[in-house]
Amino acid sequence: MKFIIDLILKLGTVDRRWIFLIIGLVVILPLYFPMGLPIRATNTTQQVYNTIDALPAGSKILLSCEYGPSTKPEIHPMVLSLMRHLFKNGHKIYVTCLWPDGQFLAEEALDLVGGEEYGLTYGEDYVLLGFRPGGEAVIKGIVSDLRKVYTIDVRGTKVTEIPMMEGIHRFEDFDFLFSASAGYPGTIEWVQYAVDPTNIPMSTGTTSIQVNEVMPYVAAGQVQGIIAGMPGAAEYEALIGVPGNATMGMDAQSIAHLVIVIFIVLGNIGYFIERNRSKKY
Amino acid sequence: MFGEIFGAWIAVFLTLAIFSFLYKDNPFYKIAEHTFVGISAGYWMSMFFWTQIQPNLFGRLWPSTHYSDGFWYGIYNIFGMISSSIFPAGGIDKGHDMHLIYLIPFALGIMMLLSLFDKLSWLARWGIAYTVGMAAGLRAYGYLNSNVLGQIKGTIIPLADPNLPFFSLLEASHFNNLVILVGTVTGLLYFFFSKEHTGAFGKVTRVGIYFLMISFGASFGFAVMGRISLLIGRFVELITYSGAEYHHASIWILVIMVALLGYSAYKEKGNPEAEV
Repeated sequence: MKFIIDLILKLGTVDRRWIFLIIGLVVILPLYFPMGLPIRATNTTQQVYNTIDALPAGSKILLSCEYGPSTKPEIHPMVLSLMRHLFKNGHKIYVTCLWPDGQFLAEEALDLVGGEEYGLTYGEDYVLLGFRPGGEAVIKGIVSDLRKVYTIDVRGTKVTEIPMMEGIHRFEDFDFLFSASAGYPGTIEWVQYAVDPTNIPMSTGTTSIQVNEVMPYVAAGQVQGIIAGMPGAAEYEALIGVPGNATMGMDAQSIAHLVIVIFIVLGNIGYFIERNRSKKY
Repeated sequence: MFGEIFGAWIAVFLTLAIFSFLYKDNPFYKIAEHTFVGISAGYWMSMFFWTQIQPNLFGRLWPSTHYSDGFWYGIYNIFGMISSSIFPAGGIDKGHDMHLIYLIPFALGIMMLLSLFDKLSWLARWGIAYTVGMAAGLRAYGYLNSNVLGQIKGTIIPLADPNLPFFSLLEASHFNNLVILVGTVTGLLYFFFSKEHTGAFGKVTRVGIYFLMISFGASFGFAVMGRISLLIGRFVELITYSGAEYHHASIWILVIMVALLGYSAYKEKGNPEAEV
């Protein structure tokens, strides 16, 4: 017993770089040797899937990309899955970006899914309106008169010359909004300035760190489900039956969490042992 | 193909350079950090200019649809001599009509830039005042509607609905609704500071603290999950770029970086006062 206690106390003094190395190893090993741990859709992910599945074919979907390269591993897989689901169901996708980096990531996703996988036509089945600076002011602009904010798309084509923009003048002309959000401005601003005032249904996909912040809006029914970080993206990949990068990372995610929990438990045990010892003396 | 391979080597170098900070601060990390700051600033500025200022501001002040030989477009033509890509001949064709009222935000924007000059920096306050006033008004409505009214509405839930089960872990149930009610009330009472948190009131607010602590724990868990996800993302790219088609970029750069950091550590060992 004394040996175990001494070992735990010794672990508390170990150089933090060893911890980094262990975390690095437990993340990289499952990527080389996948275990295929099961993925089960949580209620909130299922709600997003069901909401989108219930939309009538040909619905006009506004997809807003508020993320960048730093959050690509979490958000990009869910954007790809969502596009696959939307195109499969015959919807039209209009993409806006409140983050500048979101524009080229959205372009990459549209080219891959809309262009290569589904062979759809730009301007008829999907359009990338692109980034506009201003955060909530842009959202308010889209709600009141989209054509004041967007007169051209990212390719420089006037919106009046884009076939699928016919009949689209303001936010209420869309049937559904999906915000792929990594922070501010993002999901919360869409709820505040677009969804609550107009009652257009909305779902979201966010980084893990944002989930706690957005969850109250989901619980209150202001947002129809949430795809929560990489696990949420993996669940959505499982729901549409197209495994991708998120599914690939889930083994590493699970093992890394297990190791972190073990570190936390050991750290706490060490803390209480040391506290008891200092009380004694 | 060369561009793709070169890009992969750059990506691998920058990723490993940032990771090297976990060992300790070093020149690789500093190169990556400064490159990131510089490129981000340049990218953002360029995006802001070409997606908003040029098409939506200049495009409304000098639209091609109103082009004429008058005074107003005479000024435009002078600008055009400085930069024909920003001010192309014949006006800016971005689908706008002329709106001279946009001279006001244009002037406010220039006034904000004047903060760079000591004697004229006071003019920047006008632009800042406009931004603060506009943002405050805009947010007041959003928060009141969605965060106050919407959230209060969300907590008004049935406690005696015969259609609900007593207990369900994931679906709505009497038990879950009771938890929401107790959590909301005790959490709000914890932030009521007009009465000392002692006695029965103190016990109620203590329950509120427990709810807050559970929320912080969940936030921490999600934060860890997010960071691990990003690490996975970088590792996936490093693995991809370690392939033969990228000339084993990850392996080469890792070996060279470890060798140089190791050599630096060895040299430091002999000279403890030396800093990397």
